[in-house]
Amino acid sequence: MKYEEAMKRLEEIVSRIEENKMDIDQIGDSLKEARELIKFCKDKLYKTDEEIRKILDSDD
Amino acid sequence: MEPLTLLELNGRVKSTLQFEMPDAYWVQAEISGINPSGQGHCYIELVQKDPTGRTFLAKAKANIWRTTWMRLRPFFEQQTGESLKVGMKVLLQVTVSFHEVYGYSLTVQDIDPTYTLGDMARRRREILQQLEKDGVIGLNKELDIPVLPHRIAVISSATAAGYGDFCDQLNKNVYGFRFYTKLFPALMQGDDVESSVISAMDAVARRRDDFDVLVIIRGGGAVSELSCFDSYSLAFNIANFPLPVITGIGHERDDTVADVVAHTKVKTPTAAAEFLINRMFDTASALETLTHRMSDAVVERMNAEKLRIERVTQKLPSLFAVAKVRREQVLENLWNRTVTGVNNIITSQIHKIELMEKGISSADPVLILKRGYTITRVNGRVVKGAMGLNKGDRLTTSFPDGTIESEII
Repeated sequence: MKYEEAMKRLEEIVSRIEENKMDIDQIGDSLKEARELIKFCKDKLYKTDEEIRKILDSDD
Repeated sequence: MEPLTLLELNGRVKSTLQFEMPDAYWVQAEISGINPSGQGHCYIELVQKDPTGRTFLAKAKANIWRTTWMRLRPFFEQQTGESLKVGMKVLLQVTVSFHEVYGYSLTVQDIDPTYTLGDMARRRREILQQLEKDGVIGLNKELDIPVLPHRIAVISSATAAGYGDFCDQLNKNVYGFRFYTKLFPALMQGDDVESSVISAMDAVARRRDDFDVLVIIRGGGAVSELSCFDSYSLAFNIANFPLPVITGIGHERDDTVADVVAHTKVKTPTAAAEFLINRMFDTASALETLTHRMSDAVVERMNAEKLRIERVTQKLPSLFAVAKVRREQVLENLWNRTVTGVNNIITSQIHKIELMEKGISSADPVLILKRGYTITRVNGRVVKGAMGLNKGDRLTTSFPDGTIESEII
């Protein structure tokens, strides 16, 4: 998943809760998803991704 | 023959020169030094370089006396939009003189600004016009800088201070953002800049999916060496580059052609790093705002649910009074936790996002169930209020570990 996609999905979830379009039963699952999305984004911003490091260090 | 005194010898040189070269001559030269005097004169150093630009073929001092300078200077500046400066090519009308003490020098009588315009500014303008005509001049600016510009291809000279400054600035950013840089070395001064930078760009382009942006940087150099960035083919490559290009070529003067076509132009390598850090900061702020909104929305929703549960429990018979009190306590407890969580989020400056996550955790209905909340259903539908409930309705109440049935009496 890309960062942009994660943010878009997060925005979607937040808007639905804000607009009261979500059943209380759904909120649990959505919150779980939102938490994962936030963690994903945070990791991208603040944690070293060895995979990227490896790709960049490799030559053509 | 009697030896001459030095004065006699210099006197002969002087009169020979006067006799042989009495006229004023138009001469093309490059300014290598300029020094306006306090008296209003202007002393300049003129050079002619070999085609590589590295070796001097000729050199002379020239004086522009006050009255001439007062006339020529505004004229030249008005015509070219620039003042005389080092590195500029000029066409001057000079007389030649020799002084017994001060030696050989030129005295400037006139200047032809069209020559300078033709050599530098016109060349740049023509390149830009050509880029415009070819429809490429704004292409790179049309690209969006990704929200997460953390994989950075750098074109620079590996040994130059500029590259080190750039990496230092990125890596010591106070927010703790992670950046990944890869250097594609190129010559950043001399005659081979153009071909060297273009071939480095080709190498980056072959791996375009591995990177978010391209940064072209160098430390400050001699002003005259900037002209290598006034190149059509270099600018054409930048304009057409598949990634946004940020230039930090390190200069104060007018933009080079490369700067004009780049997505973003900054003055120094350090400023290029700052630009990327700021972009990441915007991205992190957007995430923070979203997390905040999430937290607020859930709290609001919980508030509404709390009111609903209260309304339902008020209708429950005294038989359930104990359960009601217990539920209210659980709810109160949960509510306080949520409020505390949210307060922490707002007050914390550094670990905002972590705290927000906690806030959200305590608002998670799955956890709410585990802490003593229940979900009440009638005929499989969630009951959200007392309204519409009737005597005799069978309530199904879900606990985390099972359900019970009850009837409204």
